[in-house]
Amino acid sequence: MRFRMRKLLLINLLGLIGVLWSATAFAQVRTVEGSVVDATDKTALPGVNVVISGTNKGTATDGDGKFRIELQPNENSLAFSFIGYQTQTVDVTNAQTVIYVDLAPDTQQLQEVIVVGYGEQKKSDITGATANIKGEELARQPVLTATQAMQGKVAGVQIISSGQPGSSPQIRIRGVSTALSGTTALYVVDGVLTDDITNINTADIVDMNILKDASAAAIYGSRGANGVVIITTKKGQAGGIKVSYNNNIGFRQAANMVKMANAREYSNYIQAATGAAPAQTPYDTDWYGTITRPGFAQQHNLSISGGTEKATHLLNIGYLNEKGILKNNSFRRLTLRLNEEYKLTSWLKVGLLSSYGNSDNQNGFGNVDVDPNGAIGGAYNDAYRAAPTVANYVDGRYGNTSGYQNVGNPLLDLMDNDIRVNENRLQGSTYIEVKPVSWITLRSSIGGDFRNSLNRGYFYQFNADQNTFLISGGNQYSNVSNLTVKSIQSFRWVWDNTVTLNKKFGLHEFTLLAGTTAEQYHYQALTGSRNGVGPDPNLWYLTTGNANSSQNDGTGDKWARNSYLTRLNYNYDGRYLLTATLRRDGSSRLPGANRWQIYPSVGVGWMLTREGFMQNQNIFDMLKIRGSYGKVGNDQIPTDAYTSKVDLNHGYGFNGSGNTADGFGQIRQVIDPSITWETTVEYDGAVEFGLLQNRLTGEVNFYDKRVNNALIDINSRRTAGDFDHSIFRNVMEIQNRGLEILLTWKGKAGNEFSYTISGNATFNQNKVLALNGGQAILGGSIGASQNFTTLSDNGQPVGSFYVLKTIGVFNTGADVANYVGKEGPIQPTAHAGDFKYQDTNGDGHIDDNDRVFAGSYQPKVYMGLNFSANYKAFDFALAIYGNLGNQVYNGKRAVRINGLDNVEKSVVYDRWTSQNQNQKNPGANTGNQLASDYYVSSGSFARINNITVGYTFPDSFLNRTRLTSFRVFATSQNTFTLKKYSGFTAELPGSPTNSGIELSTYPTTRTIAVGVNVGF
Amino acid sequence: MTMRKIYIASLTFVLLTVLSCKDSFLDVPVQGGVTIDSDPNLAQSLVGGVYAGLLQGDSWGDGDVHGFAFISVTSIMSDDADKGSTASDQLNPVGDLDDFNHTSTNKFAETLWSGHYNSIGAANQALKALSNSTVLTDAVKNQYVAEVRFLRGYLYFNLVRMYGKVPLVLNVAKDAEDAATNPVFATRASVADVYTAIIADLQFAAENLDVALLAPHGHANKGTAQSMLAKVYMYQQNWQQVFDLTNEVITSNQYSLIADYASLWRQSEDFSPESIFEIGTGKFNNANLKIDNYTVSQGPRTGGSGGWDDLGWGFNDPTVNLVNAYEPGDLRKNATIIFINNSGDHKGTPLWDGFRVPSSDSVQNLRYNYKAYTSKLKETFANAADKDRPKNVRIMRYAEVLLMNAEAAVHLGQGDPDGKINLLRDRADLTPKSGVTIDDIWQERRVELAMEHDRFWDLVRQGRAAEVMQASGKHFQQGKHELLPVPNSEIQLSGGLLDQNPGY
Repeated sequence: MRFRMRKLLLINLLGLIGVLWSATAFAQVRTVEGSVVDATDKTALPGVNVVISGTNKGTATDGDGKFRIELQPNENSLAFSFIGYQTQTVDVTNAQTVIYVDLAPDTQQLQEVIVVGYGEQKKSDITGATANIKGEELARQPVLTATQAMQGKVAGVQIISSGQPGSSPQIRIRGVSTALSGTTALYVVDGVLTDDITNINTADIVDMNILKDASAAAIYGSRGANGVVIITTKKGQAGGIKVSYNNNIGFRQAANMVKMANAREYSNYIQAATGAAPAQTPYDTDWYGTITRPGFAQQHNLSISGGTEKATHLLNIGYLNEKGILKNNSFRRLTLRLNEEYKLTSWLKVGLLSSYGNSDNQNGFGNVDVDPNGAIGGAYNDAYRAAPTVANYVDGRYGNTSGYQNVGNPLLDLMDNDIRVNENRLQGSTYIEVKPVSWITLRSSIGGDFRNSLNRGYFYQFNADQNTFLISGGNQYSNVSNLTVKSIQSFRWVWDNTVTLNKKFGLHEFTLLAGTTAEQYHYQALTGSRNGVGPDPNLWYLTTGNANSSQNDGTGDKWARNSYLTRLNYNYDGRYLLTATLRRDGSSRLPGANRWQIYPSVGVGWMLTREGFMQNQNIFDMLKIRGSYGKVGNDQIPTDAYTSKVDLNHGYGFNGSGNTADGFGQIRQVIDPSITWETTVEYDGAVEFGLLQNRLTGEVNFYDKRVNNALIDINSRRTAGDFDHSIFRNVMEIQNRGLEILLTWKGKAGNEFSYTISGNATFNQNKVLALNGGQAILGGSIGASQNFTTLSDNGQPVGSFYVLKTIGVFNTGADVANYVGKEGPIQPTAHAGDFKYQDTNGDGHIDDNDRVFAGSYQPKVYMGLNFSANYKAFDFALAIYGNLGNQVYNGKRAVRINGLDNVEKSVVYDRWTSQNQNQKNPGANTGNQLASDYYVSSGSFARINNITVGYTFPDSFLNRTRLTSFRVFATSQNTFTLKKYSGFTAELPGSPTNSGIELSTYPTTRTIAVGVNVGF
Repeated sequence: MTMRKIYIASLTFVLLTVLSCKDSFLDVPVQGGVTIDSDPNLAQSLVGGVYAGLLQGDSWGDGDVHGFAFISVTSIMSDDADKGSTASDQLNPVGDLDDFNHTSTNKFAETLWSGHYNSIGAANQALKALSNSTVLTDAVKNQYVAEVRFLRGYLYFNLVRMYGKVPLVLNVAKDAEDAATNPVFATRASVADVYTAIIADLQFAAENLDVALLAPHGHANKGTAQSMLAKVYMYQQNWQQVFDLTNEVITSNQYSLIADYASLWRQSEDFSPESIFEIGTGKFNNANLKIDNYTVSQGPRTGGSGGWDDLGWGFNDPTVNLVNAYEPGDLRKNATIIFINNSGDHKGTPLWDGFRVPSSDSVQNLRYNYKAYTSKLKETFANAADKDRPKNVRIMRYAEVLLMNAEAAVHLGQGDPDGKINLLRDRADLTPKSGVTIDDIWQERRVELAMEHDRFWDLVRQGRAAEVMQASGKHFQQGKHELLPVPNSEIQLSGGLLDQNPGY
């Protein structure tokens, strides 16, 4: 053995001499290549910075940990650096052409560093509930926002999205913790606070950290109640210039379509319902087919980055274009990011993190007052209702559905207007960081978010005549064209000043943060409108309209916040951990007496595996228990909520109907002058562990959070004179209790196959604990005879469905007569085939007092399963998301308000008839049914969110090109859904008291795309 | 060196901190929102705001005072009109009301309740602001208070006729707590108490308003208040008061019958000498200022083979029963009803302004309300292209004062009932009557005020609603259908304090 080693050494030495000689002989530009692996487990390390010492030149390792770099004759050493590893310098004077580097993990840095708000912390030291997702995992999916890409990846975080291009998904962290105030998590993008990240290109993101519990979010005080999502964007790395290009291009379609009755089925049904067959026509229109089309989406990203030890730069350019599956509907976004950092001296650093976004939303809204939930659903609802016996569009003229059944022609709904929302958004922050001594960091950061949007709505002129329709008549017409333009400008700035002291005394480590923040927001909107503007888009400026029809309006909003914050982190030898935070928040939105409030939190942790007594066991590689308490607030309430205002410009005509009227004021609101923030108190406890050489890692988390004073619109007695009959008050108590489980297995089979399986599940129980004198909230109105469908009442989840209970179908008139209560027949006007409803209160009548709870839109469990694998040059990823135990309300079926409205194919075939006396489905009817459990169905579903297969070209190929890396991939989003619900989708965003109702929903879409990742 | 760096950096930091924490930083006034405190003159504006509340027509939403819901319960429910439109259109809530199948969740019964209380809230707010106002003289203040109290009295008069017992709200809700807990908002006062309050309001208005009009048109004046008060007394069968008040109005010489009955409801006769109380519409902000859906809901609707750009939804169609109520030759018949040509000659029906409504093969229904017709050709509107155009709704005309006077005169056996009735008959080109009876007057009321939102309540007042309605084939139940149900949602909000009307 000894002999062999010596022999080996000798051979190497000879080889070295030989190489040296050759190097001396050919002193010129040379190429060094090699690979970098982790010193402990020998896995390849991609993305390691390779810099020629003493220069700014460098490269980074590719996906297989390989690199190639050209050296000038005087360049003799390479520095390899990577986060979490010790930097290693390798001498290459010896002119090796191939080197292998083993990077040793940096035990100090080994742990992931988590951005926790106004600072960073090692993951192992964290005492609150947080989660972290890497940008590359998010960017893999062909979706608009990082929020959407996060679905199913993080325990405790529920993402609910629609398929509408440009729409921002809803995020609910650990259940519904408010009823009517803002529900959006706080996003912090490079220090800028916002509630909307549709402007952020996912490819720009390094990582996202989610602060889930109140102790983690307490540093954001009154902003933290809905959770905090901290987004850090990419920065340049010291080294050579890196250029990369990524794209994906694909098709979209509705993930699921609802089958409607065709003309024959429809006619039979109407005949059965009304006794008269509808007029026979030669048409058999598929209305959903009429209004939809194959969608198309593409995304392109170009990134240029680089820098020196003193300065780093990054420029990212992104372009996204989504052509929606609904005709005329599209979304386009251009993003530019410029991130710069300069180390001016050893103690002074300044930087800029900036992004510009331009987006263009075509027909994503029903009007210029952009409603975040979208409003183009009118066409979806009309397509559900429109009779198949009416033509859609023939020879330039529309079928007249409104003349036939008072429902707009769905295609014309889409074509009779043109609504475009164009937004420019400049967002970013600039900072200065001073480190006068190694243990003090002073940082001042000013962030800004400037948004400017021009919303233009053009409404075509057309009459209910035979120029527009095949048959004239009906209510779908627009006698005069109209152009409405709305210009919105908003600016928000936030100024953070913090000082961080970090010092170790033996095994005691202290980090103390103290700071102040100030924030101001100003919003202005201006609307103008004129009639009689021509249909040519080049005329779509107000000046071409009839000046006598001019209308204008303008509004504004302004608020300010001011806060003081402090946080102490203490750990003893990484064993005993303590985090305590305190934030004092003030907001101009609240009346003086309630203006300031304090948000404390404390968390403790115990890393058992660092204890002496754990050193002799070999089960756990890591075992940590932690617990925390925290208080956070939600101040997302309207600025003027506590001010009694006079509402101006209510006209009254004292001068005759042909003359100009005068404007007057009305006090229309009853207000609660004592409004204050919603306060959430949360307890959290967790166990984190790593087993089997950390191949199995996991976390089990319990939480109990309570909102003590949720602000809700109390339905006011109409007699009190509040015009919309609702008053904002702090009265509701809501609890969310839950359990989160996260397990990850990293496995390997041979050298060429490695994989990761990660699963998470969240069990959440939501309950209204108390109304405190307030009224239970009626919600979920779908109009017609169903004024409300949900009730948020004591002991029930927020927004629970509250409907009549069907107990069968009357088979005969005798059944009707036999269904008697104390005052005779309970449903005297019913016929055979009608529903029999439970007379819950036994008063002998069926009315709203007989309603019962029928579940809630909130899932009892939601979960994600993520699998990724690498085999040779192939990579594969699979993401599954699902939820269980939630209910949905089939509002589109329930809103059948005209007896001639169409019905679903299944309704035709499954209906009660005298031959098929089933007790589940009613007989043919003319709609206007009461809200009942017939419309409630299970919303449980499981979906393959994403499948991606990629192939990375080997070096042997790259060597023949100028590329440093090249990967091709195919991906599919929303590939397959398993669900019980018969509608388009069970994923139905909405406000807390008005969710899970499918009325005019944009269905989720399936995308199939291909793309490349290229490095130059 | 290091110390100096610390010193400089810390100083900078402290400065930044101090700068960002000025006390006034958080005192941000509401942007673009005025309050009574910021502008004392707003009290005056709030008076106009109470009038503006009369235009509420959000029948499926937040509130209706004179919109489609009002049309439904005053006219469609009566024997004068049918639901109209297509058979299936708006079966709920309108069809249910027409046929007396409505329940306590009927949307229109709910929005009428909300609309009236919205307006009453606006009135109470105005009264409060007026009493606190320091800029108005007492005389002007009294004038405004009287106008507002007139409107509040009128609104309660509608409420008591629709629902019977209702909560009597005469002050603003102080704040949310008060609105939610004060029993005033959830306890129904007796019908007698409501009438006492109505009479107090109208009496105050009658005493404090000028005979001469303060503003050119539209504002309530002494005669308006006296006439409304007379009608209230008529519902209480206090005939002496009816007689005296109507006599005062008649002898004030402020009002007269206009010559042409047919033009009464046209724009040219807005605020005519015959108008006692009228809801004012017009142009505002370059748009039609109107009661939403008042005209479009009643406009002739396309049907059959269609082929024309129709005028509306075709609701509130005069019945054959009403047609038959007219004596032969009564000019008022063709002034009240648009008869669709059903003769087969396809000549359509030319209207007063020259517009021709097509014949029955292209029109949905056979009769429409002429009084709700607006002329695109001969009348002016901010947006004539909009089918929903402004129409001043005549709530009370001088003709009704004469009718009330006549009815009181017959009851009291004094005055000149024949003379009053014959003024109207003469205008309608009918022969005079003598020795008129109560029945004669009721008949005259019906045809004179047809489609003017009086018939249903009048039948209830006369005590023969059940008899007449059942005769016209409606499912009217005596002791139930005289009143609308108290909205179920409001009962739920009352925490059980509100009770329901009998039978619902």
